[in-house]
Amino acid sequence: MNPKLSVVNNTDIELAEKAQLEKSLIDASKQGDRLAFKGLYELHINRVYGLCFRLCADKSLAEDAAQEVFIQLWRKLDNFDGTSQFSTWLHSVTSNVTISYIRKQRGWWQKMFSIEHTIAMESEAEGSIADANLERYIYQLPERARWVFVLHAIEGYRHEEIAKMLDMAVGTSKAQFHRAKSLIQGWMDDE
Amino acid sequence: MNKSNDNRLDEALEKRIEQMALDKQPERDLWKGIEQAIELDAKKSASAEKSHTEGKHLFRSPKPMFAMAASFLVLVVVGWMSFESGKNLQGENLVAAMSEQHNLQKQSLLIRFKDQPASTDNWQQQIEELDEAAQAIKKALAQEPNNPALLKMLKNVYEQQMAIIERVHEPRWERI
Repeated sequence: MNPKLSVVNNTDIELAEKAQLEKSLIDASKQGDRLAFKGLYELHINRVYGLCFRLCADKSLAEDAAQEVFIQLWRKLDNFDGTSQFSTWLHSVTSNVTISYIRKQRGWWQKMFSIEHTIAMESEAEGSIADANLERYIYQLPERARWVFVLHAIEGYRHEEIAKMLDMAVGTSKAQFHRAKSLIQGWMDDE
Repeated sequence: MNKSNDNRLDEALEKRIEQMALDKQPERDLWKGIEQAIELDAKKSASAEKSHTEGKHLFRSPKPMFAMAASFLVLVVVGWMSFESGKNLQGENLVAAMSEQHNLQKQSLLIRFKDQPASTDNWQQQIEELDEAAQAIKKALAQEPNNPALLKMLKNVYEQQMAIIERVHEPRWERI
């Protein structure tokens, strides 16, 4: 057998097995099985936390937001009807819950004094240097520009969807994205 | 910046985004807090079910009675203080009255949620941080006792504290 084909097949099998496992965990969780829900949490926590972290740019806030995402997920899992991929639905839930959480929690302290220096910026980003730099640049972005950049460039949402999510005009979303991109590219140019 | 330079930067950025690791591992165990919140939900549902079937018995055990009495007493005192504070309090007196009133309301909430587990681990740390913020503002107010921006900031800090205590003890249902 062609070794490349074998790898593809194995990957396909792994994906199919993962999808099957995920489906059974979702079904059991919907029935109130907490152990199954923990399995679902373990399958997705790193991706969910990664998204929370990039939106919050603050470790502690991101941890709290990720917890809130899974608490809401437990309560609203019945709303998942299986018409889309679970991960797509979960990432949409994560984005909405996290943005709403930041808005509620974002301290007046930070607003009043414009404290931009966050814990996330101090922490070592994992991966390559370029990868680490990009992460750092994302954390350095102004809040709204960061949200739009993360949701559009990384999560793949359309500006129309982002505008709805963030309660802003489509044009504003596009402008914020352009602003974010220009800032990041400027920083990249200085490397 | 010319167009070819723009394209080069766009490509470079896209490449980095593609290579970026999307997963990130939280440093602390988040499951514990989630489990507690789920547990609390289950208890609430069970208790709502019980109340529904047995009817409402508000004064069932001495513990809630004590908490209710304490909360009532605090409300009476707070009400009295609000009435008193309406008498043109200014400067240092206003700051003292605000702080006193806030402390009473905070105590009342803490008594109310005494037996309920919190949904997050670090809420007390958040309260402490806000306490420190309040201290810093009060220090500034000592220099300018009638500064409206500082008074507003102090009020905001106190409101944040109350919101945190309520949020971690009473997780909300309607968010997604």
